[in-house]
Amino acid sequence: MPDAGALERYAAPRALAEALELLRDGDATIVAGGTDLMPQSHSGKARFGSLLLNIRRIAELGGIALEGDTVRIGALTSISALLASPLVRERLSILAQAADQFASEQVRNAATIGGNVCNASPAGDTLVPLIVLDAAVELAAKAGGGIETRTLPLQDFLTGPGRTQRRPHELMTAVRVPLPPAGFVARFYKHGTRPALDISTISLGIGGVRRGDRLERVRVAFGAVAPTPIRARAAEALIEGRALDAAAIEAAAEAAHDEVRPISDVRASDWYRQELVRNMTRRVLAHVAFG
Amino acid sequence: MTVIERATLIGKRVPKMDAPEKASGKTRYIHDIDVSGQLWGKILRSARVHARIRRIDTSRAKALPGVHVVLTAADVPDQRPIGVNKDHPALKGDKVRCVRDEIAAVAADTEAIAQAALALIEVEYEDLPVIADPEAALAPGAPVINEKHADNVAMRFDYAHGDVAQGEAESDVVVEDSFKLHYVTHCCMGVSGVIAEFDASGNLLLHSNTQVPFLHKREFAEILGIDPGRIRIVQPPIGGGFGSKLDIYPFEIIAVYLARAARRPVKLVYTREEEFLASPTRQPVILRLRSGCRKDGSLTFRSVETLHDNGAYTSWGATTPFVMMQTFSSLYRVPHCKYHTTVAYTNNPYAGSFRGYGNLQATFAVESHMDKLAEAVGMDPLAFRLRNAQDPGEVTGQGMTFKSCGFKDCLRSAAERSGFLARHAEYRAAQGAGGRVKRGIGIASMLHVGGGACGTILKLDDFAHVTLMTGASEIGQGSETVLAQLVCEELGLPLSAVTVVNNDTDITPWDVGVHASRTTFIAGNSAIGAARKAKAKILAAAAKKTGVPEGELDLVGGFVVRAASGEAIVELAKLLRGLHFSDKAELVMTTHYYEPPSVHQDKGFKGDVSAAYAWATQVVEVEVDLDTGIVKMTKVTGAHDVGRVINRLGIEGQIEGGVVMGQGYALTENLVIEDGRVKNPSFRDYKLVTAPEIPEMDLAFIETMDGEGPQGAKGVGEAPAICIAAATANAICNATGVRIYELPFTPEKVYRALKGVAPKVAWRTRAAA
Amino acid sequence: MSRSVEIEFRLNGVVRRAAVRADMSALAMLRDVLGLTGTKYGCGEGECGACTILVDGASLNACLLFAVDCDGREVTTIEGLANDPAAQRLQRAFAEHGAVQCGFCTPGMVLQAGRILARAGQPDRATIQRGLEGNLCRCTGYKKIIDAVEAAAKERAA
Ligand SMILES: Cc1cc2nc3c(=O)[nH]c(=O)nc-3n(C[C@H](O)[C@H](O)[C@H](O)COP(=O)(O)OP(=O)(O)OC[C@H]3O[C@@H](n4cnc5c(N)ncnc54)[C@H](O)[C@@H]3O)c2cc1C
Ligand code: FES
Ligand code: FES
Repeated sequence: MPDAGALERYAAPRALAEALELLRDGDATIVAGGTDLMPQSHSGKARFGSLLLNIRRIAELGGIALEGDTVRIGALTSISALLASPLVRERLSILAQAADQFASEQVRNAATIGGNVCNASPAGDTLVPLIVLDAAVELAAKAGGGIETRTLPLQDFLTGPGRTQRRPHELMTAVRVPLPPAGFVARFYKHGTRPALDISTISLGIGGVRRGDRLERVRVAFGAVAPTPIRARAAEALIEGRALDAAAIEAAAEAAHDEVRPISDVRASDWYRQELVRNMTRRVLAHVAFG
Repeated sequence: MTVIERATLIGKRVPKMDAPEKASGKTRYIHDIDVSGQLWGKILRSARVHARIRRIDTSRAKALPGVHVVLTAADVPDQRPIGVNKDHPALKGDKVRCVRDEIAAVAADTEAIAQAALALIEVEYEDLPVIADPEAALAPGAPVINEKHADNVAMRFDYAHGDVAQGEAESDVVVEDSFKLHYVTHCCMGVSGVIAEFDASGNLLLHSNTQVPFLHKREFAEILGIDPGRIRIVQPPIGGGFGSKLDIYPFEIIAVYLARAARRPVKLVYTREEEFLASPTRQPVILRLRSGCRKDGSLTFRSVETLHDNGAYTSWGATTPFVMMQTFSSLYRVPHCKYHTTVAYTNNPYAGSFRGYGNLQATFAVESHMDKLAEAVGMDPLAFRLRNAQDPGEVTGQGMTFKSCGFKDCLRSAAERSGFLARHAEYRAAQGAGGRVKRGIGIASMLHVGGGACGTILKLDDFAHVTLMTGASEIGQGSETVLAQLVCEELGLPLSAVTVVNNDTDITPWDVGVHASRTTFIAGNSAIGAARKAKAKILAAAAKKTGVPEGELDLVGGFVVRAASGEAIVELAKLLRGLHFSDKAELVMTTHYYEPPSVHQDKGFKGDVSAAYAWATQVVEVEVDLDTGIVKMTKVTGAHDVGRVINRLGIEGQIEGGVVMGQGYALTENLVIEDGRVKNPSFRDYKLVTAPEIPEMDLAFIETMDGEGPQGAKGVGEAPAICIAAATANAICNATGVRIYELPFTPEKVYRALKGVAPKVAWRTRAAA
Repeated sequence: MSRSVEIEFRLNGVVRRAAVRADMSALAMLRDVLGLTGTKYGCGEGECGACTILVDGASLNACLLFAVDCDGREVTTIEGLANDPAAQRLQRAFAEHGAVQCGFCTPGMVLQAGRILARAGQPDRATIQRGLEGNLCRCTGYKKIIDAVEAAAKERAA
């Protein structure tokens, strides 16, 4: 049995406003799918506040909708729901690819995109595709009488392993993903020996708009090679708008290798992670560029 | 005339008798059993790897409401050490030698309270230098881990046959390499657990998943200083064994101590993390092998040195060198062999017995060298192996007599069905070609022994229902079903007529336990013996009743019939009822004790240790990704000399399970231990193979009909895991031209080897000869 | 220590009430509070699938689910499949195809396999394998489990 710490109360509000009200009162632990929180509470990595706030009953936090040229994905959207959504599969395919390589069906059914983002693991598998897609995080809080929301680019939202810019009284309500332009192609790769049930040793996402033998609006992002998922700007610069041949791809892969600073842990050494970054950038970039 | 058709169950696909119960979630494992009045036990383990305990203060834990008992070594002055070397006290008093060491235990009303109490126990340590590898343990002046073994040697011996110097002189080619084998652990899906309770007279009832209940009964009696007759062990269905339940472990004794002190039943169940930290492992080994052959491909000698990491205490892991010896001396024809082994104490987790028992390690080295030697003399791997494989009737240098031996058939069958030769040549030729994913194929064989003895009691009731009481526990492997099949075959009854009782020492006959692939062979012979006696008794009675001579009668389909025509004479149930209710009431109840005709080894370890020897050849196909080092196992073709197939469904399942366990050993499983600490005690980072990763499997059975086996069968339980790692090493080499000497073939290790930056397996000092 | 929370939900078709601690897992509630031991503990962290249950028809790891989150929902455990013909077909197929050895993984496997079949009419082997990726088995090597699921799908189609 984990130590329940200061946990005193449980609430499962149905309305966003009510949840925000409870959050404003302070010292709450938010639970969505629980797939991070439960193991973390067992290992002592997470300690409960005085209130366990279950946000799963809040309908406003669900749903995937196209609002103008932005796809709004509710924070409670499960990984399974991402996989099942035609909108995600067709227009945000790199996110569907990551969802397909995520844990197991049982975990995908419970795990939410909001939990994945707020847990802010450097290896969080939806984060790399969301960065490639220029996603933003929508946060809500109770201010005065009303609800106040703000939106931050995902890259800025993530500040370190398990750390974000979310303020204690804020709830993440959605991720907002601008619809990629026509011709946008993107691929996700996750390193592991299993199809999905693996913590990424490294992950990477590369996207861009294909124009002949060139890629424009290029995004290269990596997971598990830094305290947060990162964009590889040097590699992007070497790719953006240039004619891509084997030498150009090699140069970009080498640049990516040089700009990541991974750590060594029980899963892999820093050296190996850097090698993977180079080799798989080469492979995935060729795939994105030439199909 | 009613003719009863003879139907045999032997060789059929017979579903396991307990499958419906298990598939509906009704089976009650140890975790699912609660006894009234029970308390929960929890163990406090050392926070240090090697340290003196300066002080333990349990007063705050004792004061916690709901806590009944808190024990430390000081509270059980009558402790006796356990284990193969009797070097292991259940509760450690003055010193901890390993991070899993038990230093205190709590019995409380609930698991949560027991857990909370552990946190209140204060321990003061004084750190001692940590010995984290066996070479350091043997260095002169190394700190002593176990006071009774000042040289840190748990075991050391030499074996030889022939004269390796002569063998080496006759060799045209000699190769020498060091190999390194890693830690893996059983990962039974059901974690360890036990319930201990004493009755009012002080008799102990233990609900335990031990695979050796009768040996444990004796041990517990010694530990408690009571008569063994006062101990009863009941074995609930087990959530996986694989050798892990062959030894007695501190948690079981601690549960007994807690129950004794609390005068209440105590249930103690591990968490998964505890299971990783505190269960035994497969024994890690550093191994140096030198082997030679002539130009014609005949092996000349093998010279082996091994250094084993025993961990801090001695369990069965320390005896794996004996099983390894059999492979070194007798897998292929080896005219001259020398083998030196040292088992050293360290502050690491200790090694126990694990399916295959040393043979995975030995076979990995031997079969790697078979490929290297073949290559050196320009023979293909198959021809080279066939050149050296034994034939039936051969006696090895160690004195094993291969009465039945399907070795060459295994080699030929596996090679043929996998298209080994053509593929091997094709992949080899493609090594230098383009492409980032390379394919490879590798072959390896194994030899394994079985042993032990077993008793059976058989009883028929007046509805011709059979109760088979056997000492052989069911550990998920399906022995229950196989034994029932064998008895049905003798008595001409359907499987539904048999109940197997195998889980209560107050009922079942003495037995040495489930290990060494012995259940089918030994317990099978014992069951057949009892059934034959019952049959003789029945036929004698039938003869008396019907006037037909015994010799002309048989039992078929629930009837006594005329053997020649199958004509039904009397229903068996009716005959039995007649017997029971006659004036001189007679019950059909028989016993049989079977001990195989193996010869005990002499001082030089020579002798025919097993009544039958099992053989297998496996061909493994892989894809190696040069960019990541990921090795994908795509296909395994196996040919197994199993003597005879009794239950095809069961034996396939055993082999498939073993193949995948071997796959895990070769590719993914790795218990990472640094400075005595387990770094990955969870399934998140200790990677078992999952359903999408399994290879295609093509299995063939070579039925050599072993004369001594029940219906001709031999043991098979351990065989399938044994050669997978070896064949995988050979396949990776075939794919890439790179040979790897260290397991497991995890992506990073393979990638480093491919890049030529893998550290060479180094053995700094030669183990003292 | 946290106070207990009263919840009410439908368990295997019957409305149940339970008082559970807020930090308790659904697995602990099922096994220790409600005495349903068919759902197994294998790891407690979502890696083995031995604790698979259905909640509102979707398979979940009971060890990752807060018991309080069962409130108002429909929970099915292996015990709840006793009268379900599709599950019985699967259970029979498991026995007949040798998919059960020690049996510890089996309840979770049966529940998860049921979801695979409910979703895809005639799943191919690769789909079945991916569907079972969250269920560990140490005994069988999975092949016979996959065989059993495939056979149950065929039987249903026939
Ligand atoms: C077996 C297993 C396998 C896994 N495999 C993967 C994998 O392959 N890839 C991967 O990326 N992850 C994996 N995970 C991790 C986990 O499943 C994901 O991170 C998941 O998305 C978390 O979502 P959740 O809803 O379960 O989060 P929860 O556990 O409910 O919450 C996670 C954290 O986020 C906070 N939080 C949740 N929602 C909000 C919100 N709306 N606003 C503010 N804070 C919030 C919580 O307070 C908590 O701190 C795995 C986990 C397990 C147990
Ligand atoms: S116990 Fe829940 S997944 Fe292992
Ligand atoms: S049958 Fe034993 S774990 Fe699957």
